Amino acid sequence: MKNNNTSRRDFLRASGGAIGAAWVGLNWPAVAAAAQHAHEAAAGRIDHEFKVLDARRACDVAAIAAQIVPTDDRPGATEAGVVYFIDHVHAGIYASAKADFLAGLTAFQAEFARLHPDGGQFADLDAGAQREYLKSVEATPFFGQMRFLTICGLLALPSYGGNEHKLGWQLVGFVDQHAWQPPFGHYDRDYPGFVPYAKAPQS
Amino acid sequence: MSPRSYKPGETVDFVVVGSGAAGGVMARELARAGFDVIVMEQGPRFTAADFRHDELDYWFNNALLNSPQASPQTFRRTAEETAQRVKDFPALWYARMVGGSSNHFTANFWRFHEVDFRERSLLGAIPGTSFADWPIDYAELEPYYTKVEWDVGVSGLAGASRFDPPRSKPYPMPPLPVKSSGVLLERGARKLGLHPFPAPMAIASVPYKGRPACAHCGFCMGFGCEMQAKSSTLYTMIPEAEATGRCEVRSESYVFRVDVNDRDRVTGVTYFDRDRREHFQPARAVVLCANGAESARLLLMSASARNPNGLANSSGMVGRNLMFNTYSEVHAIFEHELNEYKSVQVTRIVHDFYDSDPKRGFYGGGGFDSRISLNPIGWALFAPPASRAWGADFKSLIEAMPRAMVVATHGTSLPLESNRVDLDPDLKDAWGLPAMRVTYKDHPDDLKFAAFLQDRGLEVMQAAGAQQAWKAPITEATGSPHLLGTCRMGNDPATSVVDRYHRTHDVRNLFVCDGSSFVTSGRGQPTMTIQALAFRAGEHIAGFARRNEI
Repeated sequence: MKNNNTSRRDFLRASGGAIGAAWVGLNWPAVAAAAQHAHEAAAGRIDHEFKVLDARRACDVAAIAAQIVPTDDRPGATEAGVVYFIDHVHAGIYASAKADFLAGLTAFQAEFARLHPDGGQFADLDAGAQREYLKSVEATPFFGQMRFLTICGLLALPSYGGNEHKLGWQLVGFVDQHAWQPPFGHYDRDYPGFVPYAKAPQS
Repeated sequence: MSPRSYKPGETVDFVVVGSGAAGGVMARELARAGFDVIVMEQGPRFTAADFRHDELDYWFNNALLNSPQASPQTFRRTAEETAQRVKDFPALWYARMVGGSSNHFTANFWRFHEVDFRERSLLGAIPGTSFADWPIDYAELEPYYTKVEWDVGVSGLAGASRFDPPRSKPYPMPPLPVKSSGVLLERGARKLGLHPFPAPMAIASVPYKGRPACAHCGFCMGFGCEMQAKSSTLYTMIPEAEATGRCEVRSESYVFRVDVNDRDRVTGVTYFDRDRREHFQPARAVVLCANGAESARLLLMSASARNPNGLANSSGMVGRNLMFNTYSEVHAIFEHELNEYKSVQVTRIVHDFYDSDPKRGFYGGGGFDSRISLNPIGWALFAPPASRAWGADFKSLIEAMPRAMVVATHGTSLPLESNRVDLDPDLKDAWGLPAMRVTYKDHPDDLKFAAFLQDRGLEVMQAAGAQQAWKAPITEATGSPHLLGTCRMGNDPATSVVDRYHRTHDVRNLFVCDGSSFVTSGRGQPTMTIQALAFRAGEHIAGFARRNEI
């Protein structure tokens, strides 16, 4: 993809075609979820236009995020649209960090390519190999930044482009509401009230 | 009465620099005493309607803070190092807006104890530190603590803590409802023979003085209160100061110099307005309440040929003895849901370890409380141990967030002359003014005591029946919102910046009252004491002005 302004549909097409069927196969549940999102995006509900990342970069960012918060029987970074968050914030709230972020990503991809001279990119690896590879780079600032962005993409206000359908909040059991009343949880339900102590000897 | 607006160039009785915890109180006290007051505030003026539940913008984009982009700082551990620019988050942070950090604070509001003011006499000198008694004692401050509780608005239960110092009046509002974390802390602590008590908070538990009660939305620490239930000066002291008809709050007015004449009398302040135009505001006296970082920086920026080391700095103590409060955390997960994201941060506190005990082998005192440390992003970022930082283990941990809580400790920081705020020799802020340079290294006893408290917190969580509990690594401090000690009070002009009434030793009509006045750090949660000092100082300063003693 030459165009930075890549749509989700293009992203999927690029992932499946130019990047390799292996990634799509191994990430099928995620891709299926993403396809559903693409459908919703087409219906105009969610902004799935890439503003910063090209498809190759988006694939690696999505794959790293999907390892940080993987999908199992509950949604993960993929379903929460973390890749869109990471894309959008670098054209918005973190625009000033865009150059540093892209430099880190480029260096990540270059190092991966150096260690994998036979071609392909990180996103092409199977999930187990991705995990192994990320363990080898987990102390790098770029991985730290990806972890930060993934968590933010999962749990920030949906208006930033991630946390789609509040899936991230559902995952961690958080409900954003402007008023609550006690009891707030299990343990304060039957609290009998504060029992005062006997007066302490004055020190 | 509507807020006063003074004409450009009109001389007022007082300019108060800063509108936060101290500045808001100072403005109200001086205006109520009949003086003309202008409050200069760097930041904008927001209303409750402007505040949002936007954790990303507030915590990870510095929306309310002195941002590292516009107001950069550099940091180093020791004077031998070259300070490096701080990138993502300020080292010394505060809310840069009308009401200052009283907007985004957690609102823990317990009084210091008697021991805090005379610890040097009780324990003796600590070599290598500037550990000292305060020039005032608890009894002298007690009426003003009471004033904070009633005028600013604090919820709590008098007599609940067996360690509390004497008080002349109960709290005006009952404590906030206990959360599950508070119940568990209390359960574990009582089992171990400790004495947890309901947390006093500067948050309205019932409607108070025209403000509504807390709605338990859960966005306190780091956020402005959209309900006006948090007793920020934005909602309490500032409107009351304006209601006198004698106080103007000039927002987006960045004071960068305190001007003096050739008799070392302050003549006013020079500031940038929102369009970065320079103005001089004349005043008969100036009170700096700009916080424990900016008040010192402003005095240093006010250096002149007459005062080459900065204004009011004949002692060389301006900017020195910077103190934070040590902090450590224990995380715990329980069987059932706590839902700590609801309601205020803290509902129970343990102060059994408040006093320093020589038997421990190191100096230190403090306590711990029950809370969730941050909102969802912050918890997921910082709570997991390194072994569960990402992947399936990480995910299963963050899924347990509703069952999680934190024990947060608060402890002493020893005053060291080497820990300081000064002016960076190279870096400038967005206005072309010298950036703040921070030099800070914890005293070893501070770190030992933080670890001691953390161990006690862990025992309490285990006694409360935690399924999992772990200690967050204790690291050397790289910053704080508790900005203390940089213009310390004292009777001796050679070793302190202000006297017991907050008047600078060097300049008769210049006062400093905020966290910078602290002689020792207390055990954390300094805002209550900052405001008590401001009520007391305001009364004395008004008296001086009335008696022509300024």
